[in-house]
Amino acid sequence: MERAPQPPILALSKVSKSFGGLMAVNYASLSVNKGELRALIGPNGAGKTTLLNLITGIHTASSGTIRFKGEDITRLPPDRISRRGISRTLQVTSLFSGLTVYENVWAAVQSRKRFFNPFVRAEAWKDVAGKTEAMLELTGLSDKARTVCSELSYGDQRILEMGIALSTEPDLLLLDEPTAGLSTRESMGLVKRMRAMLGGRTILLVEHDMGVVMELSDRITVLHYGEVLAEGTPAEIMANAEVHKVYLGS
Amino acid sequence: MLADRGKGAVFVPAFGAVAAVLAALPFFVDLFYQTFLTEILVWVLFAISFDLIFGYTGLLSFGQALFFGLGGYAVAIPVLKLGLGTGTGLLLSVAVPALFAALVGYFSVKLSGIHFVIITIIFALIGSTLGESWAWLTGGADGLVFPAPPIDFGLFRLDLMDIRSTYYLVLAVVALSYLFLRRMVQSPLGKVFVAIRENEERARLIGYDVRFHKLLSFVIAGGLSGLAGGLYSVSLKYASATFLHWSVSGHAVVYTIVGGAGTLLGPVLGAGLIMSLEHYLVDFLQATDLVVGAVLVFMLLLAPRGIMGLAQGRRK
Repeated sequence: MERAPQPPILALSKVSKSFGGLMAVNYASLSVNKGELRALIGPNGAGKTTLLNLITGIHTASSGTIRFKGEDITRLPPDRISRRGISRTLQVTSLFSGLTVYENVWAAVQSRKRFFNPFVRAEAWKDVAGKTEAMLELTGLSDKARTVCSELSYGDQRILEMGIALSTEPDLLLLDEPTAGLSTRESMGLVKRMRAMLGGRTILLVEHDMGVVMELSDRITVLHYGEVLAEGTPAEIMANAEVHKVYLGS
Repeated sequence: MLADRGKGAVFVPAFGAVAAVLAALPFFVDLFYQTFLTEILVWVLFAISFDLIFGYTGLLSFGQALFFGLGGYAVAIPVLKLGLGTGTGLLLSVAVPALFAALVGYFSVKLSGIHFVIITIIFALIGSTLGESWAWLTGGADGLVFPAPPIDFGLFRLDLMDIRSTYYLVLAVVALSYLFLRRMVQSPLGKVFVAIRENEERARLIGYDVRFHKLLSFVIAGGLSGLAGGLYSVSLKYASATFLHWSVSGHAVVYTIVGGAGTLLGPVLGAGLIMSLEHYLVDFLQATDLVVGAVLVFMLLLAPRGIMGLAQGRRK
């Protein structure tokens, strides 16, 4: 079914980033449409994580522009970008490790408020409590709500990280290798959980596991040495000879 | 589920009982002990203000002496040189150090880890050096002796040359400050501070302005450290550049670590325990610092989460 062309929710235009002399991202252009699940693949060192860092403001692009919902976010700091509606998970699990699962999700849900009243008990924010409980339900972590998250299994930590990212109610979610470090069986479980959690969202997914990529993504972008090598549907990427040469192996 | 349900049900009567005992004590102990209790309360306030910035926000500030000392002078100088009242002086002892904390914090919170520690020490050193050399203003190491004018509350006047009245003033201010901080650390703002303590990068990625909230915590802690210094000078009728000495900051650090950081109650217990130890041991041996040092080492090795950690067992 043909739809009227909509402006992309995320548009990177000729974005470059160099660290010293190394071009981590080189003249990369990329558009993600609303509702799409886009996978970003490529060999190690291709600049995938750097690209996510540029989009979320952890690094600032050396040149080029990044537009989100039509606005230029190239030079905004991470917290402002988060408030505009981009959320992400990190490759290395990044949680509030000394806090409980509940407190982790609470902190993320609460972040959408503008004023943090120092004179009321946090519990008095019933709307935050409600959303926190709903997110625990969605992640399947309700019965572990009171567990300190450093004591969670690694798989549960990965799911919690996704729950935290989702709790900021993002319009665009960036997932950096969600299955990294998981066994095949755990990966399958996570993918199943992701399907339930992420339905209909706009997602940019960095992932090495091609099974996961093929299963989830609508379109795939291949990065190689910081440059966009190819882009297309999973079938097109699988059929692309150059992609096979540099990444998928022959 | 954020806090254990029923905690408030324990806290309210417990707090009321402790406050009642402390309020009744002057009728049972002599003036010497009233003075001693006043001093403990002052250091309790200093320690809990430090706990906000260190225990809850995760920033090890070794510069709190700067705000403590400024608080002392913010009472002494206006009272002595401008003829202002003690009440006004105490308000200034919050406002002036808070202002300085905003300035110091603006430069300091950009740094993290050991760099933050060092820059706060440097600011405190600048403060104590200036305090000593600007003797025309501060009285230098000799300090300023001033008569604290009574505070008029309308219904009654609080005579601050009287030891018992001073004790009640300090008790009331410290108790209110404790309640204020307790509410704050349980509030949404407190959750932001704790999130920053636990994982700065994650806090930033979910949309918290980390630098602003660190600064905010630093300013609030600075204001309350100043209030502690202000109360100290009111209780002694004296302020001096020695209040600014960086080792003063060490008191708050020791009390908080011994008692348990990030608990508010811990620093209260730590201050009470260490000051009592020093007080009772000084009759037997000269080197009380040695005992304090030993207690600190003992706690760091065997109970890194302090008295509160021991009391709560292994779990948080």
